[in-house]
Amino acid sequence: MDLKTETAQSPVRERGPAEVPGSPRRKLWGALTIASLLLLLAMAFFYAPEDANQGAAQRIFYIHVPSAWIGFLAFFVVFVGSIAFLSTGKRSWDDVAAASAEIGVIFTSAVLITGPLWGRPVWGVYWTWDPRLTSFLMLWLIYLSYLVLRGYVPEPVRRAKYAAVLGIVGFLDVPIVYLSARWWRSEHPTQFVVESGDLPTQMLVTLLVGVAAFTFLYLYLMAVRVRVGRLRTRIEEAEVVR
Amino acid sequence: MSWIAPALTIAGKDLRLEIKTRDVIASVGLFVLLVVVTASFVFPTGGEGREGMAAGVLWMAFLFAALLGMGRSMAIEKEDACLEGLLVSPAPREAVFLGKLFSNLGFTYVVELVILPVFIVLLDIRPGAGTWVVILAAFLGTLGIVTVGTLFAVMAVNTRGREAILPLLVMPVSMPIMVAAVKVTEAGFLGTWTSGTTSWALLMVGYDALFLLVALATFQHLTEE
Repeated sequence: MDLKTETAQSPVRERGPAEVPGSPRRKLWGALTIASLLLLLAMAFFYAPEDANQGAAQRIFYIHVPSAWIGFLAFFVVFVGSIAFLSTGKRSWDDVAAASAEIGVIFTSAVLITGPLWGRPVWGVYWTWDPRLTSFLMLWLIYLSYLVLRGYVPEPVRRAKYAAVLGIVGFLDVPIVYLSARWWRSEHPTQFVVESGDLPTQMLVTLLVGVAAFTFLYLYLMAVRVRVGRLRTRIEEAEVVR
Repeated sequence: MSWIAPALTIAGKDLRLEIKTRDVIASVGLFVLLVVVTASFVFPTGGEGREGMAAGVLWMAFLFAALLGMGRSMAIEKEDACLEGLLVSPAPREAVFLGKLFSNLGFTYVVELVILPVFIVLLDIRPGAGTWVVILAAFLGTLGIVTVGTLFAVMAVNTRGREAILPLLVMPVSMPIMVAAVKVTEAGFLGTWTSGTTSWALLMVGYDALFLLVALATFQHLTEE
């Protein structure tokens, strides 16, 4: 009986899951995500004009480019979260970095799947060692190894520190990867890649809606995963106390 | 610089241990020799344009050598809590890192310099004066791999995966320096130094400098409990 009163009084038990920060915003991001994704679908198929050269295949652009943007944003957040964790020592920063890395890997996977699907009908090949493609492949590999590393360190604080160091090194590696990929295949034609400078207005608007929709999706997924991370942290800390 | 003296002491400890046991040099040296011989068999390494292929094969062998050596060198520190001993010693954390970096760089580089002539003979490459370029590329490339690798080896040895994790961490991040090292080595094998080669060499210097700074800044976080 003593045990029961003790656990009831412990700070771990007092706060319910609803008090974990991010809960109300999570619902807001979720609603915005659903609305904007539906809008994006409608615009991508009915509002945006058909590309004269590439035909319907070009419409994958409205998923591909926002995915790439989110992949990059997510890994930048990992970088910032890693630095913040190492300088403050707050576990919540590690939760942010870990959640963002997971989401980033998912969106870079989407880039690496939609890219070849688009490339095949337009360039005639699934894969080319274009600097951007190569950089995303390397990003994907670096952050996969980040997630593997996290899985291999059972102690939470040590895991956070190790992951943070890899999160910093991995992100700083990205510009060097891009540079080396650009020089490596400098003999290859670069007009493959669609430059977004002279897009028709409807295409640009649709793309911007796509970017907004994917950003809401990222924020929603972040809110969910950070919350899971915080709950996990709380369980781990409670186990240490016990 | 108060880091250099204790760093050299730590590297000297590794050197004395190595002279007594010949653990790393023997295992890594034989391993690289096996990789080089196997690769000479399985890849079409003759004919026109073989220098590019040879440079790639050589750097795969060097990368494996570095990974094997660094894993071994950190596993030794793990035995009998040697690393903890180093960390509680008066030597600054940066010096501990640099000491391990020096010994890893030294062992790997020596193995590479020994294997290089064998490789050149086996693959019938005639670099001439370009040999110096290859020796420079080997140093800059190995420094980059070993800098990142020494940092990650401290992490890998404390995970459940031990040495198996080290390649997974080092290989994705070291891709640009591998590419640059292969390009400069190819130029060395061909004996032609172009402006592109200068860019690649500078990329290696930049990579080495950047990650040396990052490693020195973050190493203390890996080692405090």
